[in-house]
Amino acid sequence: MAQLIGPTIRAESLTKRFGRSVTAVSDLSFTVEPGRVTGFLGPNGSGKTTTLRCLLGLVRPTSGRATIDGHAYAELDDPMRAVGGALEASGFHPGRTGRNHLRVLAAAAGLPDARADELLEFVGLAGAARRRVAEYSLGMRQRLALATALIGKPGALLLDEPANGLDPEGIAWLRTFLRARAAEGATVLVSSHALAEVQQTVDDVIIINKGQLVHSGPLSDLAARHTARVIVRSPDADDLMAVLRDAGANAEARSDGSWLVVGLAPEQIGHAAAVGRYELHQLSPEPDALERLFLDMTGGLE
Amino acid sequence: MRSGSGRLILAEWRKTTTTKLPWVLTIIAVGYSALQAVLLILLAAPGLMSGFANTQSTDNMLMSSDYLGAALAQVGTAATFTLLLGIVAMTGEYRHMTITATYLASPRRSRVLIAKMALYALIGAAVALVTLIVVTVAMLIALLPFEHAPLTTDMWLSVLLGSVIGLVLFGVLGVSIGALIPNQVAAIVTALLWMLLLEPVLSLAFPKVGMWLPQQALQAAMDVGVRSEFTGQFVAADNLPVWGGILLLLAYAAVFGAIASRTTLSRDIT
Repeated sequence: MAQLIGPTIRAESLTKRFGRSVTAVSDLSFTVEPGRVTGFLGPNGSGKTTTLRCLLGLVRPTSGRATIDGHAYAELDDPMRAVGGALEASGFHPGRTGRNHLRVLAAAAGLPDARADELLEFVGLAGAARRRVAEYSLGMRQRLALATALIGKPGALLLDEPANGLDPEGIAWLRTFLRARAAEGATVLVSSHALAEVQQTVDDVIIINKGQLVHSGPLSDLAARHTARVIVRSPDADDLMAVLRDAGANAEARSDGSWLVVGLAPEQIGHAAAVGRYELHQLSPEPDALERLFLDMTGGLE
Repeated sequence: MRSGSGRLILAEWRKTTTTKLPWVLTIIAVGYSALQAVLLILLAAPGLMSGFANTQSTDNMLMSSDYLGAALAQVGTAATFTLLLGIVAMTGEYRHMTITATYLASPRRSRVLIAKMALYALIGAAVALVTLIVVTVAMLIALLPFEHAPLTTDMWLSVLLGSVIGLVLFGVLGVSIGALIPNQVAAIVTALLWMLLLEPVLSLAFPKVGMWLPQQALQAAMDVGVRSEFTGQFVAADNLPVWGGILLLLAYAAVFGAIASRTTLSRDIT
């Protein structure tokens, strides 16, 4: 496939209120770059779907802008070739077959019918192409939604919780696919309510909570923060912990006999152990630390 | 790769033909018209249902070409169903949330409305032709045992013209009603309530107003030669000319569509 440069997707002071009392998105600004997979993260109800709907021209912002290479979605000449959106797995007529669903949209986008069959094959629905969507499982609907988004071979993909309902095999397939699209130069924005779900897929993260931006930047920045939480196991723990506390760390014993050290990086702890000739049995970042950090940031631990 | 409206009309055509409801409505439309026409023949047939149509006269009503024309003009009753087809085309999108994909493909929403109106005009014409053919065949079969006046080409062509006009206009009107009332049940109930109850009552109470209401405008628009006195339908003394009925119905559809574009159709899709 030819190298492409996907559009840059931007939210600029985006605000959306429903009625007088509900503020779904509040003064939200972020940039999604081409050639990278960006995770759009936040708990359920944090405004992710509303933001995506603003970007896709389905919801009119109360103020601010949501743009694709500087243009509102409705201003795009050929929207389906610019952006592929998959919002939820329910937007299908239950009596229509998957193949006919795609043929409707192929017609609307001015694409040949062969595109529908090509996509059904690609997302693994060729066998179910002529079955009514009512008979599809949630996972099959997700695949059909993805095929819908891909129909115009768009430079950008906006996918809302695309992993929902997919089996582990499907999730692995999706991950590989999204990485490949980004490697080709596409802009990929994937929402999720769980960081762990997209941790191995995304380059950048945009984290929102209650409609407001909490953090945006490369995932590695987040990862850097959590190296400060380290699990240490040592037969000389008492002495080692005393040294680490002197170095400014906070150490607490865990129920399984290991220690959680907060405030020092693994290399600093390793160095301290080597200098003091303490035996180490384990020295590792806390495994779910990133998810814990995410929950802290989004108030999920309240 | 251009011609945006052609693309959208093709997409709308595929939406219509790939679900069951439009087919069911079309079959009911055709069957209902044919049934009405055949019943009119049987009611007038000598010796069959003696006592109804033949009481006032010993004449065989089937010898009257006006009467046969009125039976043939039952094709026009299918207009109710092209109205429903148009309503379902718009409201079905909201009911099944396919409107999301539709607006992603065509974010300029009024284009979708116009494409649907154009398609349902074409469908109205097609349904009129199919219904007329079926009604003609059914009538010829029902007339077989009886002595009757000939079904003339003039009669046939005038009914074709009248019913094409009527079914096209009501198809377009249906789309505009569906746009104005996107809730499918509410739209259908409102339309049926209007046609079966409100408009007849209004027309009776205010005859001068009646001619400006949609069903009477439909009667006026379809009145291209075949009179419908025999069908027992309520026809007010004064009615608009054919072109007046056509323009009035187009105006209804245009006004409904314009209001919908500024209100219901520009709402957030959530």
